[in-house]
Amino acid sequence: MSIKEKIPVNKETLKERAIKKWRDTKKNANITRELVKKNIKIQYRNSVIGIFWTVLNPFLNMLVMYFVFGTILNYSETDKTYALYLLCGNIIFNMMRGATSQSLTSLVHNRGLLTKNKISYYVFPLSNNLSALVNFLFSCIALLGVMLFVWIRGESVFSWNILLAFLMLPALFLFNYGMSMILATLYVFFRDIQHFYTVFLTLWTYLTPIFYKIDKIDNGKLSGKFIAGVINLNPMYHYVEYFRDVIYRCSSTGQAVPGNLMRLYLIGAAFFVIGVIVYNFTKRKYIFYI
Amino acid sequence: MVNLMENKENLQNENIEVAQSEVVEVKEPENIIEVNNVSMEFFLPNEKVDNLKEFVIRLIKGKMEKKKHKVLDNISFSVKKGESIGLIGHNGAGKSTLLKILTGIMKPTEGSVMVRGTVAPLLNLGAGFDNEASARENVYLNGAILGYSKREIEHKYKEIVDFAELHDYMNMPLKNFSSGMVARLGFAIAIDVNPDILLVDEILSVGDENFRKKCAAKINELRDRGVTFVIVSHNMSQIKNLCQKAVWIEDSHMRAYGDSKEVCDEYIKYCNSLKH
Repeated sequence: MSIKEKIPVNKETLKERAIKKWRDTKKNANITRELVKKNIKIQYRNSVIGIFWTVLNPFLNMLVMYFVFGTILNYSETDKTYALYLLCGNIIFNMMRGATSQSLTSLVHNRGLLTKNKISYYVFPLSNNLSALVNFLFSCIALLGVMLFVWIRGESVFSWNILLAFLMLPALFLFNYGMSMILATLYVFFRDIQHFYTVFLTLWTYLTPIFYKIDKIDNGKLSGKFIAGVINLNPMYHYVEYFRDVIYRCSSTGQAVPGNLMRLYLIGAAFFVIGVIVYNFTKRKYIFYI
Repeated sequence: MVNLMENKENLQNENIEVAQSEVVEVKEPENIIEVNNVSMEFFLPNEKVDNLKEFVIRLIKGKMEKKKHKVLDNISFSVKKGESIGLIGHNGAGKSTLLKILTGIMKPTEGSVMVRGTVAPLLNLGAGFDNEASARENVYLNGAILGYSKREIEHKYKEIVDFAELHDYMNMPLKNFSSGMVARLGFAIAIDVNPDILLVDEILSVGDENFRKKCAAKINELRDRGVTFVIVSHNMSQIKNLCQKAVWIEDSHMRAYGDSKEVCDEYIKYCNSLKH
């Protein structure tokens, strides 16, 4: 064997590389689809009412919160559509919670797959985020039910403006996906992040106006101003509020209250880009740590 | 220029290690796999810090330096189209790591790897199996992992179930399967592939006697079709039967490389000498 013979076959051609890339992309898309299907199917397999639980769950949650906070904070008397207020906040926040807390452990939990097959690390957070999105769409059925109820009682006006709500979903998805990648990476290197994140999620829940209303917070005192400032820095506040502007506030007036959609996309894109950078920077090391 | 040097080195290595080299081809079929001077380093597992608490403590104590362990050291070989190669050596010698590098799961610390065509890694049967999901769902998921489209899996589904002989159990969650059944299902999905290269890691002996015979027949069929096998195995007769070439890796170094029969015999001789 001479040296001359060996050199020309040493490199893959550009075309070969492109074909490989395309094949990998298709493969990863297929895996993502199957993972999402599996996630959704398994989630409620062992319950009697099965997939309906996805619809019922946010509704029952809302009832509990309505009972507790509606009474304590007296919202149920001052606001006839408080149920709608609650549900809007709840399902948006739960989409984020579901996506990120599932993704946190996803790389490590799927180590059996990742160490034995060539699968893109992007697939696992992505499939969890898509599952969360599907769950969110199921929750929207509950939301529609409550909207119908409020509308029949004559406490709201119907308007097609509610469809504007879908405009924010891609932005929220980007935000969630970015967060998911950052968290999944952290978990690969530091397993105790899980405990921190559980506590952090509780804090996050309280710093997002899900059951309370923000106008009561800024009472003019320094502490009130501070908390209002912190809440304003919370990305979830802006997502929840936009969704509410369209679904809840719009329903009482019948007119669209245009929120700042641009801001939502900027936040989402920023987190997504950070997530991708973190992922690309560290993904070569994952295999040794998961 | 560097390339040229590497190849010269390669050539010298081969000349030393391959007694009667059959590598010289007359009609020069192209290389389907090329491994050039591949080295791989790991951090020792017990040096690994995997939680924040430990990390902070070590940071304060200033004990962050880590020891590296060389798993593979300067491995070079090539496989031509239609040939198969066996990787032999003791446990922990680095064979599985080499397979992972060939799959693309890991990138080598040094050196380069070129693999042409589609690769199906069978490093572990049912690696992607989810115990909560039904067997049917697992077939679809595992098929996707092996690179099939949905339509292809639907097409192959019956064949896979037939091969695994698990018709009555396909809607059952996998957690209720026996380990033999899981292995059979895994093998049935995995073997129903049509890749250019099949990477196999000690999985060719699953199930009962009947099933094993079926597997052997399937593998011979794939070999006759011209599939290139890269096999890690401790079964020397299997390597001799399937592979033209073999690489013996001992303690992360390449101890021998060449004709599979010669390398295997040498390895067996070495193993016997250790016993006495």
